[in-house]
Amino acid sequence: MSLAVAQGFLEDVFVQLAEAIVHSQSGHIQLARQGFFEHGAHQPEKYLVEDPVGDKKRIATIPEVQDVMARLSFSGLLNNGRADLSVIGEGIEPDAENRLGTSLRIVAGRRLASTDKYGAVVGKGVAKSLGLKPGDRVVVVMSTSDGAMNSVELEIVGVFQSFSKEYDDRGVKIPLSAAQTLLNTTGASALVVLLHDTAQTQRLSHLLKERTVWRDQDVRTWVELNDFYLKTVELYKMQFGGLQVIILVMVLLSVVNAVNTTVFERVSEFGTFRALGNRNSDVLKMVVAENALLGLIGGALGVVGAIIVGQVIQRTGVPMPPPPNSELAYVAYVRVTWFALAGALAVGFTATVLAACVPAWRVSVIQVAEALRQSQ
Amino acid sequence: MTIVVLEHITKEYRLGEHMVRALDDVTLSIESGVFLAIAGPSGSGKSTLLNIIGCIDTASSGRISVAGHDVSGQTPDQLASLRARTIGFVFQTFNLLPVLTAAENVEYPLLQMQELDKEDRKERVQEMLELVQLGKFAKHRPNQLSGGQRQRVAIARALVTRPELVLADEPTANLDHKTGEGILALMRDINRKLKTTFIFSTHDKKVIDSADRLVGIEDGTIRLLGVRKEGQWAITNLSRKGPAQPAKKSQSEEESNA
Ligand SMILES: Nc1ncnc2c1ncn2[C@@H]1O[C@H](COP(=O)(O)OP(=O)(O)O)[C@@H](O)[C@H]1O
Ligand SMILES: [Mg+2]
Repeated sequence: MSLAVAQGFLEDVFVQLAEAIVHSQSGHIQLARQGFFEHGAHQPEKYLVEDPVGDKKRIATIPEVQDVMARLSFSGLLNNGRADLSVIGEGIEPDAENRLGTSLRIVAGRRLASTDKYGAVVGKGVAKSLGLKPGDRVVVVMSTSDGAMNSVELEIVGVFQSFSKEYDDRGVKIPLSAAQTLLNTTGASALVVLLHDTAQTQRLSHLLKERTVWRDQDVRTWVELNDFYLKTVELYKMQFGGLQVIILVMVLLSVVNAVNTTVFERVSEFGTFRALGNRNSDVLKMVVAENALLGLIGGALGVVGAIIVGQVIQRTGVPMPPPPNSELAYVAYVRVTWFALAGALAVGFTATVLAACVPAWRVSVIQVAEALRQSQ
Repeated sequence: MTIVVLEHITKEYRLGEHMVRALDDVTLSIESGVFLAIAGPSGSGKSTLLNIIGCIDTASSGRISVAGHDVSGQTPDQLASLRARTIGFVFQTFNLLPVLTAAENVEYPLLQMQELDKEDRKERVQEMLELVQLGKFAKHRPNQLSGGQRQRVAIARALVTRPELVLADEPTANLDHKTGEGILALMRDINRKLKTTFIFSTHDKKVIDSADRLVGIEDGTIRLLGVRKEGQWAITNLSRKGPAQPAKKSQSEEESNA
């Protein structure tokens, strides 16, 4: 039972982690031009999606799609009137991004809103380096694709903190329109797709690849964009394997103990059987068969218990502290799968049968007279 | 005809560093069809002797033959089969299975006899229950029966395989005196009717008179052998030192001396 519940808990952790990743930054699927995901960080203006508005509309007609938003990356210099800092920026659509969710935590001021035509939120490190606070004015300068210098004046509306200090030291977010002005383009770097259901990710990614929204498109799922997810899952599964072994050993030991006690309490009964002409092997079979039956019943009860516990936790949830690297506390649920239940049943059954073998053997080889003496 | 032959049987138990000699050079032969009492004080070796005769314990040395089978070299499975067909057991503590009815308890030893089908078994069980006057109690569980009734179920169970030999280790020790006498009288009746050999042990001198053979045991050695004819015991005293000393005693004398 505990095995099934523990496994269900882990399944849920994976699901929650996946949701957290999807909603922190990456969305379910991102589309960009070939090369952007590899080299776009240095020269975002080289990999522009030309008609983001039209492409967004086309993708949005797919029923599984909940939201599509454009992002435009840039790199430039941020100037506060006294000093420059080279920054990595992103133009975003504030409303859609807020629907997607973010892992960024605002430490001063507020988030970008669609009404902020020339607002900006900057990383904590950026704010510290340039001595910025909400309300301050800054200028972003960058060279456009045709070689000219371009600049936009912005007002700081908020300061954010992410998982990564490096990003906080360089990161700037501004409205998409402001970024487009800066790069002198109507394009975007990437389209971020949010689905109604995470389980549809693979299917939709295939679909988008086949539809070919634009010619040299590159479609990436959130799993591909966050390679640490699979690593984390692997790590957790390994740890769970260890946990499983521990639970197994505990189960085995307690079953051995229980079987031992019940068998040895009945030594004289088995002695009687053998005096009446049962062979050692008959007694052995009897004890093992009896425990197999008990194991089956016990296992079945455990499965029922696991289902009930799973249901109860599913209804109420267990509030969990935020995982490391994250600010969000979350509510854990248990996803008890049939597979886990069958596994637990098999473990319970095998454990009892195995546990029965040793005492059964000991009882069957003890002298009959000795066994009978125990009743006196 | 003899059914049990014991030759120079010795049985030692290890108790810590000491060896306890429960039986010391016992030689005895038992005729078929007798109703034999093994009498002796507690700890004298009665149970040990019965266990060895019943092939549920092995002697440290000596030779045993039961119902024509030399037991010494046999495998546990051969012994189990010998017990299943030739020997019936009645225990001091009855040892019935509490979850089974009286009839099912009696039927249990028959389950190993593949040659019997369900009908045969049912018939035999009913026959045995009637023999012990429990025909009406077939469906009762042991805990719904009195001590005497339980022991009668146990006797039926011991007899159901039609064994040549029934061994009863202090069958009356857990019963009051009157019930115990009833049990012995029943066994005695069956002994006469079916010609089954009965060997029972007791530390109660009063029940000895239902027997027709007597083995007196003390400290693991046979001290006295008795044969009863026409209500009179013919007693042979065996002293460790010196040769056997035949003696003839009356019943009342025997009681006061044993
Ligand atoms: N399993 C054993 N281990 C050690 N000593 C034993 C064991 N069984 C019997 N004995 C000893 O052997 C002697 C005879 O015992 P037993 O045959 O049970 O006597 P009885 O049945 O006449 O009371 C006693 O001294 C008893 O303590
Ligand atoms: Mg005894």
